[in-house]
Amino acid sequence: MLMCRDLAGIASDYIDGELSFGQSVSVKMHLMMCKDCRSFIGNLRMSTRLMQGHSSAQADDEVIDRIRQRVSSALQERQPPSGPGQ
Amino acid sequence: MRTPTALDEQSLVDGLKRGDQSAYEQAVSEHTAGMLSVARFYVDPSTAEEIVQDCWVTVIDAIQRFESRSSLKTWLHRIVANRCKNRLRTSNREITTDFGEVLEPELDSRFKPSGRWSTPPKLRFEETADALMENGALSDCLDKHLGALPETQRSALILYEAHQHKSEDVCNILDVSASNLRVLLHRARQKIFLMVETFQETGEC
Ligand SMILES: [Zn+2]
Repeated sequence: MLMCRDLAGIASDYIDGELSFGQSVSVKMHLMMCKDCRSFIGNLRMSTRLMQGHSSAQADDEVIDRIRQRVSSALQERQPPSGPGQ
Repeated sequence: MRTPTALDEQSLVDGLKRGDQSAYEQAVSEHTAGMLSVARFYVDPSTAEEIVQDCWVTVIDAIQRFESRSSLKTWLHRIVANRCKNRLRTSNREITTDFGEVLEPELDSRFKPSGRWSTPPKLRFEETADALMENGALSDCLDKHLGALPETQRSALILYEAHQHKSEDVCNILDVSASNLRVLLHRARQKIFLMVETFQETGEC
């Protein structure tokens, strides 16, 4: 039988849907009976969501602009405007 | 969301291969932010900028060899990650790879020998993640803890959660097996969980 500690070990796989059918059924059965593990899974899932919001922070526009300019000049160095129409 | 003039990925790649200026403009606009955040998890921000800039210059030549086996985004992120790893190697900073135990010791110690919780999770998340993130102190704390994760755990978390790469792409970028990726992700998540729990309980990071 699946114990709390076992469940904690495979909690991320459960959240990401990576468990086999049988394992996933055992986890669900355990969660029905164990409020501490329900709480653990809920908290772990929330931590994951926190991460998603956190790191989608926008990058610095100025930095991107500098990079755009560098790429543009590197491109021109490689292809001197020889022919007509660019 | 795309504008009517935006090129789809294949025409974008074709444009890059032709050295088309506007294709580069579009690609740089779409992908630089993501590349920077990959790099920033290996190196400091100014080195990250330098590396991403160099990567784009490399792309001008390397794009001819891009065969669309992965998405352009995955390919670009892989170039960035590899370059960062090389940089760390030459500066003798070890990339720690921790595929060991599945449970964090701090979490593991919270179970009885019987396998039941002795110290169960203390808090219920009643707030949504968005509301929690509006707490600036928690956000700073998260930054600090992310910074303290071993590099492979951090990159796995960032690529998988924040950039929503598929598992196989993350394995490809980080050069780890699928089962190692599962361990990295789980260990990183447990640390974030423990951090948020402490933060909510004590208000301290
Ligand atoms: Zn339990």
